Amino acid sequence: MKISYNWLSEYVSHGLSIAELADALTLSGLEVEHIEQHDLSLDGVLVGQVRSVHPHPDADRLQLCNVDLGDGTPVQIVCGAPNVAPDQRVPVATVGSRLTINEKTIRIKKTKIRGQVSMGMICAEDELGISEDHHGIMILAGSSTIGEPLKEYLLREEGLAADTTLDLAITPNRPDAVCHFGVARDLSALQNVQVTFPDVPIPPSGSEASNHIDISIQCPDVCSRYTAMIVRDVTVGPSPAWLKHRLEAVGLRSINNIVDVTNFVMYECGQPLHAFDYDRIAQKKIIVRESVEGETFVTLDRKQHTLEEGMILICDGKEPVAIGGIMGGKNSEVGDTTRNILIESAWFDPTRTRRSSKVLGISTDASYRFERGADTRRQPWAAMRTAMLIAELAGGKIVPGMVDVYPTPKSLATVDLRISRIRTILGIKIEHRRILQILESLGFAPREAAEGLVSCTIPTYRPDVNLEIDLIEEVARIHGLENIDLPEHTSLRLSAPRPRPADLLREHAHIHLTGHGFREIYTNSLLPDEVARQFSQAVLDSDDPPARTLNAVSRSMATLRPSLLPGMLMAMQRNANHSQRVLRFYEFGHVFHHSKRAAAFIENFSEYDVLLLGISGAIRPTNWDQDHQVADFFDLKGEVCQLLDTLQFNALRMQPSYTATELTDYHITLYSGRTHIGVLAKLSGAIQESFDLPDPVFFAEFNWTRLLLLHEKNPPQTYTRISPFPEMERDLSVSVDKSQAVGPMISTLRKVGQPLLRNVDVFDVYTGNQIPADRKSIAFSLRFGGNRTLRDEEIDRIISAIVNAFSEQFGATLRS
Amino acid sequence: MGTSLERLIATTEELSTEILRAQLDTPSDIEAFRIRFIGQKRGLITQLFKQIPRLPKEDRRTAGQVLNALRKKAQATLDSAHQKSVSDPVNLSEIDLTLPGRKNQWTGSRHPITLALSRITDIFHRMGFTIAEGPEMEDDWHNFTALNFPEDHPARDMQDTLFIDEKSPDQPRIMMRTHTSPVQIRTMMAGEPPFRLIAPGRVYRNEAITYKSYCLFHQVEGLVVDEGITMADLKDTLYRFARAFFGEDVKLRYRSSFFPFTEPSAELDIWWNLPDHPDGGRWMEILGSGMVHPNVLEAVGLDPERYTGYAFGMGVERPAMLRYDIKDIRLFYENDVRFLAQF
Repeated sequence: MKISYNWLSEYVSHGLSIAELADALTLSGLEVEHIEQHDLSLDGVLVGQVRSVHPHPDADRLQLCNVDLGDGTPVQIVCGAPNVAPDQRVPVATVGSRLTINEKTIRIKKTKIRGQVSMGMICAEDELGISEDHHGIMILAGSSTIGEPLKEYLLREEGLAADTTLDLAITPNRPDAVCHFGVARDLSALQNVQVTFPDVPIPPSGSEASNHIDISIQCPDVCSRYTAMIVRDVTVGPSPAWLKHRLEAVGLRSINNIVDVTNFVMYECGQPLHAFDYDRIAQKKIIVRESVEGETFVTLDRKQHTLEEGMILICDGKEPVAIGGIMGGKNSEVGDTTRNILIESAWFDPTRTRRSSKVLGISTDASYRFERGADTRRQPWAAMRTAMLIAELAGGKIVPGMVDVYPTPKSLATVDLRISRIRTILGIKIEHRRILQILESLGFAPREAAEGLVSCTIPTYRPDVNLEIDLIEEVARIHGLENIDLPEHTSLRLSAPRPRPADLLREHAHIHLTGHGFREIYTNSLLPDEVARQFSQAVLDSDDPPARTLNAVSRSMATLRPSLLPGMLMAMQRNANHSQRVLRFYEFGHVFHHSKRAAAFIENFSEYDVLLLGISGAIRPTNWDQDHQVADFFDLKGEVCQLLDTLQFNALRMQPSYTATELTDYHITLYSGRTHIGVLAKLSGAIQESFDLPDPVFFAEFNWTRLLLLHEKNPPQTYTRISPFPEMERDLSVSVDKSQAVGPMISTLRKVGQPLLRNVDVFDVYTGNQIPADRKSIAFSLRFGGNRTLRDEEIDRIISAIVNAFSEQFGATLRS
Repeated sequence: MGTSLERLIATTEELSTEILRAQLDTPSDIEAFRIRFIGQKRGLITQLFKQIPRLPKEDRRTAGQVLNALRKKAQATLDSAHQKSVSDPVNLSEIDLTLPGRKNQWTGSRHPITLALSRITDIFHRMGFTIAEGPEMEDDWHNFTALNFPEDHPARDMQDTLFIDEKSPDQPRIMMRTHTSPVQIRTMMAGEPPFRLIAPGRVYRNEAITYKSYCLFHQVEGLVVDEGITMADLKDTLYRFARAFFGEDVKLRYRSSFFPFTEPSAELDIWWNLPDHPDGGRWMEILGSGMVHPNVLEAVGLDPERYTGYAFGMGVERPAMLRYDIKDIRLFYENDVRFLAQF
């Protein structure tokens, strides 16, 4: 919302420079987002008197003017304007001055025009930046002094001066601050000075005006007040320079003297106004009603709108003439030939205005104000102020009286403020007198109701103030947050609380994974719907559908991710496209889907934390004695086992599956008991290709929320005494059928080897010439230990038991 | 013991001859030379320097010059011996120490947002705040109503909300949280004061993706509720945080503002030095804060007459962009290794 520095300064003598004013407003809650200077750039432009005018000997349309600039030596100026005449007072841009015309700066020089000397330029209003008028040169009043700077004349006679526009960001709690009065009130409180608003004698309701217009409100819930006045016999025309300048300073274009006045009064007091062409109001009736579905209406901007039910319509005896609070209609618009004006000054419901504005896609200065909440008592003042200005500028006559329909006047609310409560909230003591001053300046009419209790009457322009805390905020922001001193003793505690196990565990995982060459990524939680659906089934342990959004801004962000995998694949694709061959990523993030199970947070939806690891491409940097090697499933499985090991998840079960799914060629499911914890998988070749990835992709996705629950159930860690006795190592090499899986053999080893077998490693798997074609050889390295020195014979006995079990269960034969 | 300039000069000359004749062929020769002449404690030249104060005043200057020249000579001898030993060939048939070290793994990295989040939460943790979390998918009550956003209030328009399709809703009720503030509500509902918590997390806005806006970003929320908490305490906490995060000489200002769930509300700006800026810098908004609104306390069943508190919330991406001079917010979510590798 734009305000003008000069305009504001009319109501309050604040004594602040532009920079100081901007700072004061910003700190007290009206943030100045932008400052724009409007310079009149009239240095060197003086008032001149035209002594004589002669035709140019060599040009039909030019004239030679002899102009007195007050220095005793009249100069010759060539002028092309048709309206130049002797004895006129005119603005003259003298030699050496600069003018800014159409954003270009021109330097005025002594020149010859068609052979005749010209010592300057007689200017039109647009050339001076006063208005856009270029009908002829500007004629000044006789009260001007020959030779005086035009700037001084304009300031004295027309109130024109260089101005500054302050663009304010208005928060939703400040409906009062959308006009100069509101900002002036804040300033008066900040500077502790008086405000002076124009004095407007409000006519009584009824009288002659009510004979000329009949007003009825059918929907008082959304239009609680409708005030109307009539001005007769106006002449619609351009506005005076001062008015144009005021509007320009707040970013508005001048339309005509009628519309300009309504805009001026709105920016002055915050009340939006509308001017109808009275003669186009059928039956001299105004009916305020709600629209019905499907009605159409053509607004001032010539656009046809189809209305929804419940928009506020202003109708005459025949048809709608305006959408209340939004925009007037084409059919009742004030035009050049309009003679009589009907002024509307009404109150429209914020919520309803907001909804209509959204549905219609129209946001106007009026809707901006109504949707924040207009003052319910300002209407008569604003109507009369508008009528008076129209009468003054467009030469009309105000029809005495007004029609003010206000079926249920709202009474003023009072709010009590305990002085002690200010200290409770702010932590400082503010002088009692200053508190009262602030409340008084802002219009809260404070009254000391009892010792330490101030009773405030809430003005209708502050509908946001309902509670004691609202008043405390008013005091705080005007007193200045900067003036709240730091406390003598801090309320903070010296001791840091115990870290949560969840944070420690995650930190541990971060350290481990970054140490293992993984880079953490952050991917978008929103996916195209088809991608979310494609990835939901394969990774989740359920076939619950993913959660879709209702109002996504784009199709590519329509559905919440049910898995982190697609995001990671996109990251891999992006990097592969940039010739990155090291693709080792991890991400922690939330995933979402519909769910019929008991919900932790939101019913019918499931949301939990996931950790995803992914690798593709080289497994280690190229070294001078090691070849480039592309990752396979066992690189992933190794990383997963090491991670789970370091995080002390020792009791997880791995369930292999050799069946391809839509997403994977093969995978292992990770369980804790019967609880699904995650998957390790090779991504299917088709999906790998669809992401343009050159090397196979392996990923592991964990339900981190479930891992955390397991972690919290882990018994507290204790130390196991280190055995002082030496351990013994044995290797065992057996041959089995080629199709025999190694996993079950390790389980058997562990079972049979109890309690002395401490560790099993597989150090070779061999197929080839040395053994029959349908067999493979597996070499285990075994480590034994106990609470005593072990003897070779007892280890031999265990080995032969293992060999027997292997032979029985797996048809294994010992290799020598 | 008598000390005279003559004696000192004589010793100097002896040492000078010895330095000239020194044979420094092996590393141990070099080290022995260093210890004998310029060792920190018992080096001969070091010892001679210690005699200077005992000389007559008028001789001290000369002695200093002579000794300095000697020390330079010893250092030069040492340097050239070092140089020679390094450039001498070792037996390459056995080992080439200049080959690159074998890298068994690349360097991993944490995402810059994780780094920024933990920098922020660590500071608050040390000030006694516990970490709290909540869901990213929220209902209307936690995200808006309990936080004193009235129905149909323009305040709800301040944040472009992304709603979730509930299949059969009359009115959308489920949404992606627009701020981390619902964690305040969930935490207060689940416990008893005093509360001192910090809640990091991801939040959503229904905005198109451009270089300066993304459909999601990260926030850190703080909440303190106890008996006797004031706005002065809020300023105290934020001042301590800002000093720890931005540096001891950070310049702050508080601007009155509006958030439905705090009152009075304030935005905290820090002065950001910009050498090219006409004013030498500008104020940058870094967080929103205020005293917890009594309606919020009432919504979670706390008596606002007994308890008061403050809350604050800050974005993570923006300060990170400032700090690292990142001009495009999308970089955080594109995960280009060339970007990630810089953190």
